[in-house]
Amino acid sequence: MDTKTKLKKALADELNLPELTGEGYNDDAALFGEGLGLDSLDAVELVIVIQKHFGIEIKDMDEGKTAFTSINTLAAYIDKRLSA
Amino acid sequence: MNQTEPVAITGLGCICAAGDTVDACMEALFRGDRAPAPPVRFRTTHPNPFPVFEIKGFADRPGLLRTSALGLQAAHEALADAGLNQDALDGLRVGVCVGTTVGSAMNDEAFCRAYRAGEDPDLAPIDCILSSNPADVIAREFGFTGPCQTVVNACSSGTDVIGLGASWIASDICDLVVVGGADELGRITYNGFIALKIADETPCKPFDAHRKGLNLGEGAAILILESERSRHQRQCKARAFMLGYGSACDAYHQTAPKPDGEGLKRAIAEALACHDTPASAVAFVNAHGTGTPDNDRVESHALASVLPGVPFFSTKGYTGHTLGAAGAIEAVFTVACLEQGRIPGNAGFTTPDPTLGALPVCEPMNVAGTIALSESLAFGGNNAVVLLGRGERS
Amino acid sequence: MTRITVQGIGVFGGFGTGVQAFVHALESRPVPPSVQPIPTGHGPMDLAAFRADLTPLEALVPARTLRRMDSFSKMALLGAHLALTDAGIEPANQAGLGLIIASGFGATTTTTYALLDSIARDGDVCTSPIHFANSMHNTCAANISLQIGATGPNLTVSQFHLSVPSALLTARQWLLEGRVERVLFGAVDELSDLIGYLWLRQRGEVNHGPMRPLATGEESAIPGEGAAFFVLSARDEATPGYCTLENVSTGRRPGLVKGDSELLILGADGRREFGAAYAAAAEGAEVACFTPHYGSMPPGPAFDMAAAALMLREKRAFASPEHSTCDFRASLLSPGAPITVDRMTCLTLACEQGFGRIELGRL
Repeated sequence: MDTKTKLKKALADELNLPELTGEGYNDDAALFGEGLGLDSLDAVELVIVIQKHFGIEIKDMDEGKTAFTSINTLAAYIDKRLSA
Repeated sequence: MNQTEPVAITGLGCICAAGDTVDACMEALFRGDRAPAPPVRFRTTHPNPFPVFEIKGFADRPGLLRTSALGLQAAHEALADAGLNQDALDGLRVGVCVGTTVGSAMNDEAFCRAYRAGEDPDLAPIDCILSSNPADVIAREFGFTGPCQTVVNACSSGTDVIGLGASWIASDICDLVVVGGADELGRITYNGFIALKIADETPCKPFDAHRKGLNLGEGAAILILESERSRHQRQCKARAFMLGYGSACDAYHQTAPKPDGEGLKRAIAEALACHDTPASAVAFVNAHGTGTPDNDRVESHALASVLPGVPFFSTKGYTGHTLGAAGAIEAVFTVACLEQGRIPGNAGFTTPDPTLGALPVCEPMNVAGTIALSESLAFGGNNAVVLLGRGERS
Repeated sequence: MTRITVQGIGVFGGFGTGVQAFVHALESRPVPPSVQPIPTGHGPMDLAAFRADLTPLEALVPARTLRRMDSFSKMALLGAHLALTDAGIEPANQAGLGLIIASGFGATTTTTYALLDSIARDGDVCTSPIHFANSMHNTCAANISLQIGATGPNLTVSQFHLSVPSALLTARQWLLEGRVERVLFGAVDELSDLIGYLWLRQRGEVNHGPMRPLATGEESAIPGEGAAFFVLSARDEATPGYCTLENVSTGRRPGLVKGDSELLILGADGRREFGAAYAAAAEGAEVACFTPHYGSMPPGPAFDMAAAALMLREKRAFASPEHSTCDFRASLLSPGAPITVDRMTCLTLACEQGFGRIELGRL
């Protein structure tokens, strides 16, 4: 399973976001605010989800914030960290 | 709120990492002592253990949650301080109102783990929880027959109970109300606050520019609220007076405070309005000051706007954040400070944060006024404030 | 003195959802409990229980609102919506509304399962912050205040089976003191697997019904879950409401006096250890008992209160189910008889001689 598919499935399950795995979800859409409507509590959950499913620890929430923009940015961030 | 007579506080008790009596705590605060360290009471697999403020050498009671045992110890101290022995108590209508976060949750980890693993675990830990409701435990110990109320308002519980208990005195439901808060350190809350990314890996630094979050603590504090009739009958002087209580909900977010601090400001306004106390009469504020970036920012701006220039400090640098006990511990400290006419420095603060609305007191200082405010902010957007006035013993 | 009225009721439980379903149940025989397996160390065991259905909530709030909520918060939110709607109050922008929640056990599903699982499976560093936040007792109050914009004082009380009278005492104080003009008061508890398991362990045999709470020498309790919410008001409201809240008292035995109430609604719920105490307290009185409609659970007294409020407004009596098994001297309310009394008292007895009395009056 590629990173993006795995990521979407993990987020759909752990954050109760079935729309992520549905047809036609825009992977560039914003995860926070106007987009999916995630907030600061979801952000810290995201950190745990990524640690759990990808073994990547995000210590600095500011670094996380940029990566958390959309599914595409997050998948790219994970790939970069995995290949580092 | 309708105007009611101030409610006398005739006894205090406290146990936390700073000390196992009120006097010991106050000495530690004015000495500037603090010693957060990795937890000893439970194991953690966190690679770098976050420091906590654990109580050393406290003997747990078999069959009772540590939370409730801590509450009992503080209650014994407070009742003795009020000069109330069992004979005196037996003739009074006594209620109990105690705040906690973990003291009534069915979360015994070992039991739940074994049950989830398909075992039929021994029920002793559940029986322990069911017989450890913190308010019930105190009522049972002393044979109190009045109302019991365990407040589970997260981190504002220990402040809320003081206002709720005062209301039982003011409306003559009780002659005496034992109010306070109690919470023990545990792995679940420890992990929870770390997961929320609001715990500091180093000793907490409330209101400091480099603050990263809170350190958890544990403890209990009890205040004895007493009717005028009762204390005049036994010629007991008040240590302090409850002058006002205010509470309001942000209705903004599950765990984060509302950025404009509007709920906190309304709670302060309500507390001041109880006896038409002008903001200028407030000598100092014992702030919530957890050391989390959000809390301290919101709180400092709210204080700067409604109580400009009033000295404030957080005592969580000495005690850690004791959750449901915090408001009660801090109210006890506030009373003791009013009596002594001085306040401690805000432990952990060294570097001013330009984004804060105001800066805390760095060093112990003398204060002349007779009225002070203690406040708590909590998950769920709860804000609670009590206004305390100096008593007749100092 | 300030008059407090009950303006709205939101109830759901084993009998169904809403005041109408409740009245329907009270007028007929109790809906039998449903049977569900509970995991135990000996494999799944059937437990008969009065279960609540949360699906009506889906029609009331958008799915996204519920995304992070656990079943406990959802139950509370449904109760809140039902009560506000019943009172003709929009469940939004309720600035200044006071909110008080009473719960015996809190969010036990989240605490025992989701939260501890997240720690057990993946270690301390993978503790779920959302599940941790949801495990707090007052999270359901936070969720309600967020959804309906309730910015007034907000309180959650947990006193096991005396949670309702204890918390209601404070609701009444707030209204009498003028802190708030209205309080949304709710009692809620869920029958999680853990609570069901403890029921099986502590009480042994499963009763499949009916409950016979007036046979006070017998064990016949069936566990329940659900929520009962009320809009309490000290305002001069446009609509008359159900009844008045006259008094609330709670404590331990020496304070328990029979009082001058004309009718006792007994919280007796088939747990035999309390049977004798209920029989003694109700000896010779006119009594009613409705627990076989909703079961045994900490919010029980709030359901008793809802039944009393309905009788006071509709001025007619509901029959106590299984009244023929009453084993103490008492006068039982006859079904359908006109209610002429002005006062009713809901009486709850708990361990260590604890009691709660909720007195309601006719408007």
